[in-house]
Amino acid sequence: MDKQDKINEILENRDKFRSLDVTVLEDYTEEPIPDPSPRFTKLMDIYYVMKNTIDMEYPYWYNRSWWQNEGDLPEIRRAKAEAFALEHMTPTIWPQELLVMNKTKNWRGAFCFPWVDASFFNAQAEALLAQADAPALAEADKMSVVGAGGGNVTKSFGNVVSIAQKFGLRKEEIPVLVKVARYWNECSVEVKTQEYSELIPEYYKYKAYRDSVLVMFDSWAIPQGREVMNYYLPLEYGFDKLLELCDEKIAEDLGHVEHNDCLLGMSHGYYYIAMKEMIKGLIQWAENYAKKAKFLASIETDPLQKKDYEDIAVVMHNIAHKQPSSFREALQLTLLLHYAEVNEDPQSGQSIGRLGQILQPFYAKDLREGKITEEEAIELIELYRIKITSIECFASSGVTGGVLSGNTFNNLGVGGLNHDGLSAVTPLEYVIVEASSRAKTTQPTISVLYDEKLPEDFLLKCARCTKLGIGFPAFMNNQTGMNFMLRHYGEEGMNIDDARAWMLGGCLESAPCCFQPLHYDGKTTWIPGGAGPTSGTGVHFTGLPKVLELVLTNGVDKRTGIKVFEPHGHKLDTFEDLWDAWTMYLRECIEVSLKVNNIQMDIWGKINPPVFTSLLKPDCFTKGQILTSMGGRYMGVHNFESCGTVTFVNAMTSIRKNVYDDKKYTLAEMTDAMLNNFGFKTAFETGVFSPDHREATELAPKYEKIFYDCVNAPKFGNADKYADQQMVDYEDRMTPWIYGLQNCYGKDYYMCQISVSTHGPQGAITLADAGGRLAGTTYSDGSVSAAAATDKNGVYAVFESATCYDHSRNQNAQMNVKIHPSAVKGANGTRKLLDVIRAYMRKGGFHVQFNITSSKTLRSAQAKPEDYRDLMVRVAGFTQYWCEIGKPIQDEVIYRTEYDQ
Amino acid sequence: MKHYECRNYLSLDCEKGMCAIDKVLVPMDGEGSDACPRFTDGFLCKFCKNFANADEHGIGTCSGFEKKDWAYADCGAFTCEKFIRQ
Repeated sequence: MDKQDKINEILENRDKFRSLDVTVLEDYTEEPIPDPSPRFTKLMDIYYVMKNTIDMEYPYWYNRSWWQNEGDLPEIRRAKAEAFALEHMTPTIWPQELLVMNKTKNWRGAFCFPWVDASFFNAQAEALLAQADAPALAEADKMSVVGAGGGNVTKSFGNVVSIAQKFGLRKEEIPVLVKVARYWNECSVEVKTQEYSELIPEYYKYKAYRDSVLVMFDSWAIPQGREVMNYYLPLEYGFDKLLELCDEKIAEDLGHVEHNDCLLGMSHGYYYIAMKEMIKGLIQWAENYAKKAKFLASIETDPLQKKDYEDIAVVMHNIAHKQPSSFREALQLTLLLHYAEVNEDPQSGQSIGRLGQILQPFYAKDLREGKITEEEAIELIELYRIKITSIECFASSGVTGGVLSGNTFNNLGVGGLNHDGLSAVTPLEYVIVEASSRAKTTQPTISVLYDEKLPEDFLLKCARCTKLGIGFPAFMNNQTGMNFMLRHYGEEGMNIDDARAWMLGGCLESAPCCFQPLHYDGKTTWIPGGAGPTSGTGVHFTGLPKVLELVLTNGVDKRTGIKVFEPHGHKLDTFEDLWDAWTMYLRECIEVSLKVNNIQMDIWGKINPPVFTSLLKPDCFTKGQILTSMGGRYMGVHNFESCGTVTFVNAMTSIRKNVYDDKKYTLAEMTDAMLNNFGFKTAFETGVFSPDHREATELAPKYEKIFYDCVNAPKFGNADKYADQQMVDYEDRMTPWIYGLQNCYGKDYYMCQISVSTHGPQGAITLADAGGRLAGTTYSDGSVSAAAATDKNGVYAVFESATCYDHSRNQNAQMNVKIHPSAVKGANGTRKLLDVIRAYMRKGGFHVQFNITSSKTLRSAQAKPEDYRDLMVRVAGFTQYWCEIGKPIQDEVIYRTEYDQ
Repeated sequence: MKHYECRNYLSLDCEKGMCAIDKVLVPMDGEGSDACPRFTDGFLCKFCKNFANADEHGIGTCSGFEKKDWAYADCGAFTCEKFIRQ
């Protein structure tokens, strides 16, 4: 072999190792995307007519076990209750399925968690028993609008009662709901957090924040989620082996205290007893599906369907005990773990993680041995998408509609870097993107961890999928994400290896992860997975424009009459003084809310310990420690989440321009105009929440000039440094200060820049602002995209503004872009789209996502939702069916600036 | 008897399910909700010997486990280790 042959062989082997061609594609073309598999189509036909349903099986069995084990240790009692509930739920398998299991016996099923929140039901017990529709109670609930179409049960009918405007519950189960909820009337997480929070001297202030909807979220309501699953232990060992390991650790640890471990010393043994109970429950849960599949096979006459059931029985029995021995078994096991996780607590945003990297060893072995074809793998991923899309979360209507828009945003990551610092893209990730292009469902949403090292053909494949108008993949900057990880988790020991494993928890919450060594197929593969508790709780959804409004009204909420803050005492005679007053109010709000939040998360962890999560998350099993008892590797996961950032920036810019610099108006005149909504009707009066809809009143002429000047003041998103400076100032004032705050685990807080869907309800409670936005209309979406219709200089100018500060200082920064499909048509269009993405990433932008659809289509869909059942749009960091989104957010999406070239 | 009380009923949501034999959607209430001649008792607490004394809401007593407790008639029992068909 001569020298050149040797070089060629090395290069060939390198490509084999990567399994990818990483060269730039000069002759890129696009073939039509094939239809999804017949199985997918048949199952989706059923999905489209499914109603969201809650039932009482899980709560009943949980409740029974919990009270029968009164007096046991909290973690063991909880493990027994969770296991007992999982073991006793009815397993349902539908024809055509290859992957099975669900949250409940129903397709889009969910259930209530009265041990977390019982007041919602107890307050309405009589009404429920009278079979009346359950009214929303909390102020945030009233301001939240749930979409009226699709699977949402917004009104009661026949023998079905609407709960939280979203779920249907059978009337015969109402007495069961009421009976179970009453057990928890005085001891739910909600009640206990309330009891101890009220002992904080400033609690009355927190109540004012919540009653005025300045702060929209209680952490106890969805105490898990916005984090990344870690499937490692069961994939590495299988459940039987984990049981053995528990026995070994119990023998070692029970009654034994390590030197100086006086705080948790005796708890390690109890931890493994709890894990053993939990694992036994998981095994039985899987076996129940095997039993059901065998039963269905026994009554089936169609030989193909019978074979399907028999195969399911084998898969479920195997994963109940052993390390998976095939790609299908491994995928099914991750589903089991995912469902167990989302059944532990009310939660949203439980990220799947980088599934295509985690399961690649299983896929590669099957492919090599001829046990699976690429098409069969695509079909499995298509079916997997239905399963994840069907995950529902039961919460109050404020959380369900106002925060989540009915979505549970289970996020799947692709790309990024592997343990060795090379492109992490795997052949299975091509399969995942291909399946997601063919099989259009809302979940899992896909996040590309964009890195310059990723193969061009892979990025083009992802961009092409985005072009389909399904809102994903979204693109996140891998290097910016890693920088945030190192900046924030460095103090907890994060190094470059773990930083490379990062992933989004939920839609956009960068979450700490790590790599672990999976031994399979005769080799070791370092697979990524989550390594901390929820990274999406804390002081959440604080309306920045509302704080400014309260500065101008000297602390009084004009909508409700509530005194939210004491008078600030600032003269506001300089722009700097206005900033100081605003900063003072916001910081006070955060400091008080932080105390309450810390109590909420601490009480949750103590009385409702997350035992299942504590099985999976590193290093709980190694240390023998529950996650919330500092068992996790990274615990600095709580944050301050703002809402309406750009609306606030535009309002401040207008005041700076019109009041302080040009002196066209006094601050009093500006405030008067805002209080009178510039002479227009409010959004609640018109029923239209889009900022472009205006109906004049007789006062309009009086405010015509000031309104004109406010609308035409400089706006963020135009590469105008005058406007962008307010964003920089906001960052500089808040980011360093936030780092001084501590969460309940004694770790630093950080800034989070997303609003999810709260820009709808929080806009609804905010008066007009100096940027020209009218009362009640939605805030700007995202956190760095321009407010709708205010960006006049094109998308690159938006990027210039958006990157006026270093995005790696915060957990995230959200950029929404709406493009008309004609602008990215064909193979050239895909390249153009990737160029746009790349331009933003190279400037350091953290995230960009696209709605590639026309406003005309959306308007038609709003008028005739029944004709657009499968239409999807990108909302915050997730994709949702158009007909299942509330009207305020629909209006906002329609109104976003649409780029057509 | 109703479809949803049948052994072959696969639950879908709060208003309908699927017949595992015919693979068609069947309603829980109203027209078309009555079971067909192939009806076989399903796995529900109300068909279990350990379930008794149901009140007007279907809440009764389960004596199947070590500790007696309340239970409800329409609770699924396919997975219950103490289920004994009446």
